[in-house]
Amino acid sequence: MAFNVLVVDDSAVMRQMVVRTLRMSGLPLGTVHEAGNGEEGLFVLQDQWVDLLLLDINMPVMNGEEMLRRLRAAPETASLPVIVVSTEGSETRLAALHALGAAVVRKPFAPETLRDTILRITGVTDAEYYGPVTVTSDDSDF
Amino acid sequence: MPSTTVQSLSRATTATFEELALLFPEHELSPEQAAAPLDVAVSVEFRGPLRGRLVLRASSVILPSIAANMLGEGASREPPLQRDALGEIANVICGNVLPAIAGVEAVFHLSAPYLHDGIDVVSRDADEPMARVTFGVEDGRAETVLYLFSDVESVAPASQGAVSAA
Repeated sequence: MAFNVLVVDDSAVMRQMVVRTLRMSGLPLGTVHEAGNGEEGLFVLQDQWVDLLLLDINMPVMNGEEMLRRLRAAPETASLPVIVVSTEGSETRLAALHALGAAVVRKPFAPETLRDTILRITGVTDAEYYGPVTVTSDDSDF
Repeated sequence: MPSTTVQSLSRATTATFEELALLFPEHELSPEQAAAPLDVAVSVEFRGPLRGRLVLRASSVILPSIAANMLGEGASREPPLQRDALGEIANVICGNVLPAIAGVEAVFHLSAPYLHDGIDVVSRDADEPMARVTFGVEDGRAETVLYLFSDVESVAPASQGAVSAA
C-alpha cells in the first residue's frame, strides 16, 4: 500500500523536512501534496484523494484546529487519518485535538516516531508494511 | 536569571538541535568556538499567559550543517534555506520551552520566525533576558535567549524545574 499524503504547514522548510522524514522512514509513499495553511489544505482535498494528513496547528489564514474541525464535519473526510505535527505543548489544546480523532507528534521528532504513528493510526500492520516474513529453520532437533 | 528557567531553555535547545538538526551542542566551548562570531539571528515572539520573545543567534559557519541535516545536502548551499532552517529551530525551541515555564495548560500563540540581518538589535534596550544559554556547535557557537516582557514580575521559580505563571 502506498500512502498519498497531504502535508499542511505554513513553513516551507518544515514541509520539506516532514516529507524528507517520511521518505527516510521507509514508508511507501504515493503522491505527496503540500499546502501552506488550512484553507489551502481544504482546497487540495476537494480535488485529491489522500490517505493521510500531516497537519501543523499554528498557521495564518486558517489554523490546523479549524481545518480539522471542518474535515470532521464533512462525511467524506470525517474519518481521514490525521497526525498533528506541531510544537504545541498545551494539554488543553492537545486534548481538543485528540477529541477530534487526531494523533499528535510533537516537534522535534525522530523519523521512527512519525513512522510508528502513521502505522498505528492508519491500521497498517507490520506484516502489511514489511511484507510476509519467511522463516527458515532446521527443525530436526524437534 | 531563575536557574529552572535556564535549565528548561537548555533542555529545549539541546533536544531541538539534537533531534531536528542532528547536531550535538557542546556546553564547554573550545577557543575556536568561543571566538566565532554570532552573526545571524532569528526571533520568535509569543503571547499568552506570558508575552515575550525567544532569540536564537548563531555563527553563520554552522548554518550549512543545520540545513544539510534538516533538508538534505542541496539545501546546505542555499543561504535563504539555511536561515529558514535556523528559524524553524527557534520556533521549535520556543514551543518546547513555554510549557516548561508556564505550565502545560497554558495556550500560547507563536509568531512566524523573523530573520534578522547581521547582528541588529533583536531586543528592546530595557529588556533583561529571563534566560540565556550559550553552546558550541561544530566550528561555531549559538546562543538562545528568552525575554519575557510585561509579565516578568509574575514569574517565579517553582519546584521540579518549572516556573509558574500568574
